Amino acid sequence: MPSLARLSFIFFRIGNFTFGGGAPTTAALQRELVANRHWLSEEDFALSYALARVTPGTNLFAFCTAAAWQMRGWQGAISALVVASVPACAITWAITAGFDRFSSNVWIAAGIAGALASSAGILVASFWLLVRPALTAGNRLRATVIVLASIALSFWLQLAPIPVLAIAAVAGWFWPERSA
Amino acid sequence: MTFLTLYWLLLKATLSSFSGLAALPVMRNDLVLHTHLITDRELNTAVAIGRITPGPKGLYIVSAGYYAAGTEGVFAAWLAIITPALLVIPLLQFAAKRTKDPRVQRTLRAVVLASAGISLSATLPLGADALQSPAAWAFAIASLGLLVFTKIDTTVVVLGCALINVALLVH
Repeated sequence: MPSLARLSFIFFRIGNFTFGGGAPTTAALQRELVANRHWLSEEDFALSYALARVTPGTNLFAFCTAAAWQMRGWQGAISALVVASVPACAITWAITAGFDRFSSNVWIAAGIAGALASSAGILVASFWLLVRPALTAGNRLRATVIVLASIALSFWLQLAPIPVLAIAAVAGWFWPERSA
Repeated sequence: MTFLTLYWLLLKATLSSFSGLAALPVMRNDLVLHTHLITDRELNTAVAIGRITPGPKGLYIVSAGYYAAGTEGVFAAWLAIITPALLVIPLLQFAAKRTKDPRVQRTLRAVVLASAGISLSATLPLGADALQSPAAWAFAIASLGLLVFTKIDTTVVVLGCALINVALLVH
């Protein structure tokens, strides 16, 4: 189990230096906590991720709280929530206070453009890293149908996330998986 | 407007949403139309700032808090953002006892798959917006490859792309 300091440092680093919103940040955390460091199992990650999606408010902060709670209890949860949110809020505060100056600075604009382009790649990588563990022999059709249906419902039919997740949950409950 | 009232208005907005900009209609109704604490232009600027800052897009609430009440508004917004996150712990305590059930396990996996699909579809416009030049495409493809096939830290990849783009500006 990681020390509180090491755990907090991961949430600080990933939570405050990943651009593009909650999805790439969660994916980066999955990569660090599950794939690279094995501090969190795939099952515990799935539980934290799924519950964070149905918690009101900012999903990313709910995910940080849930994942850290699983690893270090309340101490970890509070610490992760604070270190993931305070610096990002402070950056937002600073940018808001000097927005007119920031928005016309070509160097800052170029840096942000590079980071956002990188985030587009991270988004696709995050999608793959989340889906890949479910593509086991005998379950590929199930996983593919759930993913494609959720994309169709949210992108083309513009259904809100909660109904889509509810439909997926019902499908997941009734559509059995095959053992590998 | 007291600190607690502003905190409550912002908390009401965050509690009404489950992702990204979903709190926007409640925010506009309370802060722009009813209390006139901020203008539509300031709210739009706040949303734009939320898109370019690191972390979740929901941080536009911090910008809106700043426009509404300065430093005090930023603090109220931060509290309003983190308060709902704590709700996940009782949910986790409730669900953790039931995760041994294979039906619960496969339901969770299905929710993760659907979340991945939702995230991809919700961020397609971001990708279209960010990939306007060959260099941007190169950054995206390189980031994808590095994240899937190597263990290079995500922060290094993002900052590397930002710095290279700045360097390209010099040349």
